[in-house]
Amino acid sequence: MTATLRLVGPLKEYANGRSELVVPSGLSVRQTLVGLGIPPEVVALVVVNEEQQNKDYILQEQDVVRVLAVIGGG
Amino acid sequence: MNGYGGSILRVDLNSGTISRQPTPAALARDFVGGRGFGLYFLTREVPVHADPLGSENKLIISSGPLSGMLIPGGGKCDWTTKSPLTGGYADASMGGHFTAEMKYAGVDSIILEGISPKPVYLFIDDRKVELRDATSLWGKGAIDVEVSLKKQYGEEYQIAAIGPGGENQVLYACINHDYGRQAGRGGVGAVMGSKLLKAIVVHGTQSIPVADLDAYRQAGMALYKACKDSDGLKDWTRYGTTIVVSWCDEVGALPTRNFSAGSFEGGKTLYGPVMREQIVVTDKGCFGCPCPCGKYSRMKRYGTQVEGPEYETIGMLGSNLGISDIQDVAQANLLCDDLGIDSISTGGCIAWAIECYEKGLLSKTDVDGLDLRFGNAEAVFAAIKLIATRQGKLGVLLSEGVKRAAQKVGNGSEKFAIQIKGMEQSAYATHNATAMLVSYMTCDVGAHHNRAWAITYDLQVGRDRVAPDKVARVIWLQNFRPMFDVLGACRLQWVELGIDRDLYMPALEAITGIRRSWEDLEKVGERIWNLARLYWQREIEDFGRDWDLPAPRFYEDPPTTGVTAGQITRFEDVQRLLDMYYEQRGWDANGAPTAETLERLNLTVVPN
Amino acid sequence: MRLYVDQTKCSGCHACQVACSLNLFGVTNPKMSALVIEPRFPAPGVYELKVCTQCGDCAAVCPTEAIKLNERGAYYVDFDECNLCEACVTECSEGVMFVRTELANAAWKCDLCGDCVPVCGTGVLWVAEKEQAPV
Repeated sequence: MTATLRLVGPLKEYANGRSELVVPSGLSVRQTLVGLGIPPEVVALVVVNEEQQNKDYILQEQDVVRVLAVIGGG
Repeated sequence: MNGYGGSILRVDLNSGTISRQPTPAALARDFVGGRGFGLYFLTREVPVHADPLGSENKLIISSGPLSGMLIPGGGKCDWTTKSPLTGGYADASMGGHFTAEMKYAGVDSIILEGISPKPVYLFIDDRKVELRDATSLWGKGAIDVEVSLKKQYGEEYQIAAIGPGGENQVLYACINHDYGRQAGRGGVGAVMGSKLLKAIVVHGTQSIPVADLDAYRQAGMALYKACKDSDGLKDWTRYGTTIVVSWCDEVGALPTRNFSAGSFEGGKTLYGPVMREQIVVTDKGCFGCPCPCGKYSRMKRYGTQVEGPEYETIGMLGSNLGISDIQDVAQANLLCDDLGIDSISTGGCIAWAIECYEKGLLSKTDVDGLDLRFGNAEAVFAAIKLIATRQGKLGVLLSEGVKRAAQKVGNGSEKFAIQIKGMEQSAYATHNATAMLVSYMTCDVGAHHNRAWAITYDLQVGRDRVAPDKVARVIWLQNFRPMFDVLGACRLQWVELGIDRDLYMPALEAITGIRRSWEDLEKVGERIWNLARLYWQREIEDFGRDWDLPAPRFYEDPPTTGVTAGQITRFEDVQRLLDMYYEQRGWDANGAPTAETLERLNLTVVPN
Repeated sequence: MRLYVDQTKCSGCHACQVACSLNLFGVTNPKMSALVIEPRFPAPGVYELKVCTQCGDCAAVCPTEAIKLNERGAYYVDFDECNLCEACVTECSEGVMFVRTELANAAWKCDLCGDCVPVCGTGVLWVAEKEQAPV
């Protein structure tokens, strides 16, 4: 049971430059990020199947999750 | 001169005399353009202790070498003046298309001097420059003025106008352009209004010469390619600055009810994706920008439209006022734009007034009978109108800015007047984010985030850490980011898309014929930074360390709700951060640049 | 081949016009470009865009045969042959034939260089085969 996680921008550095990862479903976005060594605080936006979700959202099978970093702000 | 419009336009509003001189090559070499030109003219030409709303102050508008070129984001001009709000240095960066049109009209800087005997607007059409009667425009909203002038002259003509806010010299009045871009902060609109200058119309048909055409085209195309290849482009374009609303709420940085907290229980309906779905009609951009952050919106409830709201306005006129409906925030945004007052300072003042009223420090009469509560949008709309027109007790009180208002009301209200140096703090709550706190404390126009957006760094390395690296980060950002304002370009292509900043240098060299590196520019940035500091010292008698201190709320008043509940920065840490900052800047314990620093930077004391 | 437009994505940035003027005249001057951007503000708050569809009507009407086909199969103005009669301007149904004598001594139009495409960040413009005309 898996979902797809897409890392945008500098978040790719946490995955050795990879922009797309297959991750287990059933965990929250936050847990998934922590498990990959990505501090949740640096993620600005979580978009699941093109809808914004917060980091407590539990990944469902075949979800496509895109996470964006807070880069520089305003 | 390659890359430049070529002329400095000087407008003496006292006599109506207009003169045009070639831009000195040495000025372009040493101060580059934009904010650099602004500081140059301000420090050299405005007399010491000039009344900001009097005849001796000047308003300087400058484009830069990247403005109007084949450069992503070549759409920014800088408005510099002595601030009526703070009494110190003010500059405001305005997007849209005005700066490009200035270049095509052959103009690098417009220096507005004196006071006109009657309302006028400045009309620039290539070599024809005139002051024209603005009697029929006086009193109109800034957007109405733009519509009128575009109808009269044509769509190619770019307009910058003040609304009643500027005419009434509200101390944080702004200037509007392109139906939704502003020269926002520091009261630049009040200075324009004090000169009885209602608008500036600019149109030019000249081309901009460059040193090396092929290299310029190549470098410009490389910059565009880097932007388009950025995998953050689509989402940034989709949401603009609203992309951080949810994040700020999540990390306790979203100003809530006069910065009493950093997260807002009503915040979710203000988030970017919700806003896009409910009101956004067009992604609207500035000159040359491949990632348009402007969100042009239609508010069905009011039958109106506005460019916005963007993050700052969502924070200051939304969560900071306890308002959770995005249509209400957008409507408040429109009122501020058309009436011509800075949405950030307006939000800061109204939030303070609401807290005063709730605490009984302002009576019902003092607030002109308004039901001034957090969350009451109608009262907010009414307050905005009162401020811009300087009507009612509330309008008059708040039109002076929150620092003066709190001095008048007293009774401890100064403690929750969220300002530094007299400028209302912009929309990042800094109860527990020490780098961002330093950024606000040391920003050279007052509590504004434009110079150093350091809050990500806080979250990355530990928000409450008090350590030299935090200060070093802020200083680097302060030396680097404002260089975009000097170049006449937007910084957000680099900031948001993460493109390689080195791509700008070949373009700049091909355009101007002068080879520079970012290190060279950061040195110019450091010089300019210190020059601004010297200006504050010169203009304000007791200027020093006290003027860098934050609002007491951030060291005395931990939030009771939200993500940062119970968190605060200790005052002794505020002092330690300031000490570290002064040391790294080469300033003394009172924040004055030392003789050694001035010598190193080849800066004398500001001449008068 | 011709230029296509999805104007719903236009942000009004003028980058296309800058790239165009560089191609046509070697200058940075959006007024010397071959695309028309029409802002509709404050309401409805959108940009309308007009580009050359390479229909050839201008070439057909030009009395001096100044409008020719280039190596891309696109119509362009040979400046030396243009006598500024403006017949093409009247004929063009998109309003994308340009005569502004304060800027240039000949008419100008899109020559399908394609430089506007890579500078448009929102994907408004693309070059593709002309669609078959309906029978």
